Amino acid sequence: MLYIHQTSCIFPQAGLDSPPAGPVGNQLKAVEPRYEGIPGNTLRRMSKSVKMGVGAALPLLSYAPDGILIGTGYGGMEDSIRFLNQIVEYDEGVLTPGTFVQSTANAIASQLGLLQHNRGYNITFVNRGLAFESALLDATMLVREHPGKSWLAGGVDEISAHHHRFECTEGWYKKEDLAGKDLYASNTVGSIAGEGSALFLLNGRRDGAIAEIKKVVILGGENENALRSALTALLEGKSPDLLLSGENGDSRASKWYQIAESMMDPDSGIARFKHLSGEYPTASAFALWLACNLPAVLPRHLIKRPPGSTPRHILIYNNYKFTQHSLILLERLL
Amino acid sequence: MNRVFVTGIGIISAVGSTLTENRSALLNGKSGIGFCTNLTSRYARVLPFGAINTDTGEWRDKFRISHPGITRTTLLALNAFSQAIEDAGLEKTGLTDPRVALVGATTVGGMCLTDELYRDTTQPCEGSPYLTSYDCASVNLFLQARYGMTGVVTTINTACSSSANAIQYGARLIRNGLASTAIVGGADSLAKFTINGFHALQILSTAPCRPFDRDRAGLNLGEGAAFLVLEGEETLAGKKVYAELTGYCNTNDAFHPSALSLQGDGPYLAMMGALQSAGLKPADIDFINTHGTATENNDEAEGRAMLKLFGELPPFASTKPYTGHTLGAAGAIEAVYSLLSIGHQELYASLNFETPIPDIAIRPVCTSRPGAVRHVMSNSFGFGGNCTSLIFSNVN
Repeated sequence: MLYIHQTSCIFPQAGLDSPPAGPVGNQLKAVEPRYEGIPGNTLRRMSKSVKMGVGAALPLLSYAPDGILIGTGYGGMEDSIRFLNQIVEYDEGVLTPGTFVQSTANAIASQLGLLQHNRGYNITFVNRGLAFESALLDATMLVREHPGKSWLAGGVDEISAHHHRFECTEGWYKKEDLAGKDLYASNTVGSIAGEGSALFLLNGRRDGAIAEIKKVVILGGENENALRSALTALLEGKSPDLLLSGENGDSRASKWYQIAESMMDPDSGIARFKHLSGEYPTASAFALWLACNLPAVLPRHLIKRPPGSTPRHILIYNNYKFTQHSLILLERLL
Repeated sequence: MNRVFVTGIGIISAVGSTLTENRSALLNGKSGIGFCTNLTSRYARVLPFGAINTDTGEWRDKFRISHPGITRTTLLALNAFSQAIEDAGLEKTGLTDPRVALVGATTVGGMCLTDELYRDTTQPCEGSPYLTSYDCASVNLFLQARYGMTGVVTTINTACSSSANAIQYGARLIRNGLASTAIVGGADSLAKFTINGFHALQILSTAPCRPFDRDRAGLNLGEGAAFLVLEGEETLAGKKVYAELTGYCNTNDAFHPSALSLQGDGPYLAMMGALQSAGLKPADIDFINTHGTATENNDEAEGRAMLKLFGELPPFASTKPYTGHTLGAAGAIEAVYSLLSIGHQELYASLNFETPIPDIAIRPVCTSRPGAVRHVMSNSFGFGGNCTSLIFSNVN
């Protein structure tokens, strides 16, 4: 009984009603707000992921959540690498501690604790492609353990220049330039890089909620049958109105998304989102935000197979690098 | 809600690579603080550390690992993890059941590969074997793959309280029916990354650390790993039980990115919340394994918070003078020491204490000795204001 009451998102698009902006150099960079409300001195010291996390959280802090749960795949990586390179370049000489303190992955959740003077529950998950789902699973436990309390949970990742290079080397992003082309029709190896921050105000109250999160399933490893079994158990014979698929244009990933599609009834719609967000460890947080904020008439660029009716029951299936799978089943209530 | 019990322990630290060796050091006041022979750092033989002076290659051979991308942090985790599952008798039944969870913690992760990372970021990179090793998740994803685990697997990084939070999260998975067994803990290796970070913050002591002493001058960094096997009542029949995890609480100090509030608000709330969740009163606690890093800031704030909550303090100590501050492993290592206190009914002494801090004037246990221990509290506080307290209780 986990309900979403507020959502907030920074992502690589100006909004959902404008035509989608395509990648530049196979990267979709977040469209950042001006971050009014973060004190200037604090803002200058923040890395991009901390800015995006805090920036998206600020509107939700006014609802005074009782605790803060952040998932970040590679949060802090860019500052960590910067600090490590200083260590080598200055041969362990005199270094300033700022980069080190800012580089810790828990910087987003701790900054939010500071800004809200929130002395409640505060945690950061860093399990790569399931970091956000770990936070969401935590929230399902918290609402059961502490009825009446509210929680701020979200997923945040930035394109870290150094880390992005590693991932290019490993073939996670396309070699050919995808500008102006259809991500899903490319039929080549790799995806496009993305980043963003999506946060949610969650509690156990149905009244006034945007959506109910019915189930969160985390699945590790490359086991097709395990995915089929998990889907069967989750759906209990009822196909959702819409499958929101994490299909990312990587020809090697298609088989996983095809498994999910094959288990839907023919009148279940299928929609995709990675052309808006790009690929990153916590892209499923963006998918959840999108599921909560879908316009009444679905934009055509989202649709792979049109739903029979306005989607109410939505299943998000995402996988990260083929080994980290998640299923989030939700019902829209408004 | 299900009750949660500890049925297996694995540990490796500067004072030993088995549970028995660790207990022996604690009983005999034998510190593991000294120079670090494995690390090429200008501080390795200048500053004291809680180093494990075993070459990483030795562990590679021991576990038959040839991939160079498997880091020292991961090998430390593997040392403790394999002991814990063997101790709990899980290695035979297999860990592939989806009801078995893994919740690990680390703050260094693959960042121990400083020089490899420098090469990979500054030179043309053609697929070095380290590229997938640098993040924190790499440690537990390795364990997950090696043991074919299919249940909930996650990694927590809340700085120095990380593995206390891993223990809490694993226990809650069991209590909420999302797992029947949770293998929980943490690992961190000594690394140029943290040594230079803490050095830049000017909180590394040039001498062995002196928790709660007036003349304390900072912490000693250490390395190690510990894992606990937590089980709910449904799988407990016929098993050895070390203790019950009865209380836990995670709070935030909400004061400063790298310092605790002077009155220790976050620590106070964490300790109080842990008591509440266990249904205990302050007077029920027989021993506190403090965070006790021996920094100017921590010991005073923690001391004030304990005084506010307990009035008259129960016996307490810090085991950092044995192991050094093992960061993401500290919460789990000190949980293991708390379990030893319960299992053997003994209190382990702080080392290097002489003069109390003026104003708060509290004195840790200075000689290890037998003592009746029913409930032990273990504190872990970290950067970013992350504070967690755990309570273990005797069931035998």
